[in-house]
Amino acid sequence: MLFNFREKLNSSKFLVTAEISPPKGTNVSTPLEDAIQLKGLADALNVTDNQCSIMHMSSLAFSKLLLDEGHEVIMQLTCRDRNRIGLQSDLLGAYALGLRNVCVMTGDFPSCGDHPGSKPVYDLDSVQLLELVRKLDKGIDLAGNKLDGGTCFCMGAVSGINPQEVLQLIKLGKKVGCGADFIQTQAVYDVGMFEEFVESTAHLDVPILAGLIPLKSLRMAEYMNEHISGIHVPEEILSRLKTASDPVEEGFSIASGTIKELTKLCRGVHIMPIGSHKNTPRLLSMAGISPK
Amino acid sequence: MIITSAKPLEEILEILKDEDDIFIIGCNVCAAKLKTGGEPEVLDMCRRLEEHGKHVLGWALPTAACSIRSYESLVEKNEKIKEAHCVLVMGCGSGVSATSNVVDLPVYGSNNTLSLGGSSSGKLLTNQCIMCGDCTVGDFGGLCPKSQCPKGLLNGPCGGSVAGKCEVNREDDCVWALIYERLKKINRLDLLYVIHAPKEHAFK
Repeated sequence: MLFNFREKLNSSKFLVTAEISPPKGTNVSTPLEDAIQLKGLADALNVTDNQCSIMHMSSLAFSKLLLDEGHEVIMQLTCRDRNRIGLQSDLLGAYALGLRNVCVMTGDFPSCGDHPGSKPVYDLDSVQLLELVRKLDKGIDLAGNKLDGGTCFCMGAVSGINPQEVLQLIKLGKKVGCGADFIQTQAVYDVGMFEEFVESTAHLDVPILAGLIPLKSLRMAEYMNEHISGIHVPEEILSRLKTASDPVEEGFSIASGTIKELTKLCRGVHIMPIGSHKNTPRLLSMAGISPK
Repeated sequence: MIITSAKPLEEILEILKDEDDIFIIGCNVCAAKLKTGGEPEVLDMCRRLEEHGKHVLGWALPTAACSIRSYESLVEKNEKIKEAHCVLVMGCGSGVSATSNVVDLPVYGSNNTLSLGGSSSGKLLTNQCIMCGDCTVGDFGGLCPKSQCPKGLLNGPCGGSVAGKCEVNREDDCVWALIYERLKKINRLDLLYVIHAPKEHAFK
């Protein structure tokens, strides 16, 4: 039986990861209850690290709470808030607490969030952070000091999906070159574009989990097109939402259709609903993915 | 050139609320070019402070506020400084600090210091260098991502860079798009594939 996320990545199974946010405060009951709905459905829960630069409980702490509840967890780690000392000490701490999967990313700029004046750190970039994780895996720190016990992380990185963004593709190549075990992408709406992206990165030979954010309204789709980096909701989807009598339901129908197409193109999906995972089990069921 | 912007008068009045008998020191280099501390701005500051009931005893315009030789050299320019109770420097932060080294009075600054920049073809260039002390700008076609990318990313743009524009300010070009164009022009696109190590930071 497959157990951990690394083993699952090495299998031929179509994977489902689900994003979950730590609370803004110390009351963890709502997100922990949200996570329960994903048991047996998600292969791993992916815990955000102060997403959109909005201050929340630490990804590390909430990841550990989920781990204690029996979930397989991927801890997100951004370069925004910690220098190389902080990043390494959190990674060692996470490993000692039993966390085995990380997903690293640059992190949105602080001005996007609710503490816009905070000092942006970015001591390392995402490529350098991936290299750092691999060093800890070898039992040495970034300065070359030997560790008393190293790590063995399954390590993910993120990517946009526009095959025209040459620089993003080059950077993705660097991330894979640094040993990324999987790639989680920006939300996919334009399956044709995603297919081109998959083709243009085929030489990298890395498992790709396609991002998925179910749409709830035409306004949300238009907002995403205008404000969210790297997202392209095609005209066809916009008009489906425009004419739908129940846009939320139409959004699920669009998302489940997208998942069905993605099963033929990549290794899995990464679901990032706005709000709770209340509808995620139904969405997966509509897409033909049933609990294990 | 050090890029500065003038603080609003209200903020300067707040800074000086418990002060009077002010002596103003301008800067005839960067701040003069940027119109934040040259002679016209110094004279204007004298007038505006007086209008708000402050006594300005006098002013001086050294070549560079960051390179004042000595207190005596200021006295030579205007001996009214001897009667002053405080000094307002209309230069960059370095000008304010350097003035504090030679003047035994409270010293304040009238500007915000923004970046190390320059100008080219009449266009003001900001954030050209962050003076990291570990320069590898040649690897990026001469454009420094450490200073021109808000995140200082050395290995390519972040996911927020779309169609050559910056995530932090969509009006601005992503410096990585500019680096790409530069490297293409000098036939060195191979440099985009290099994995750059983190910078070594040290207090210098």
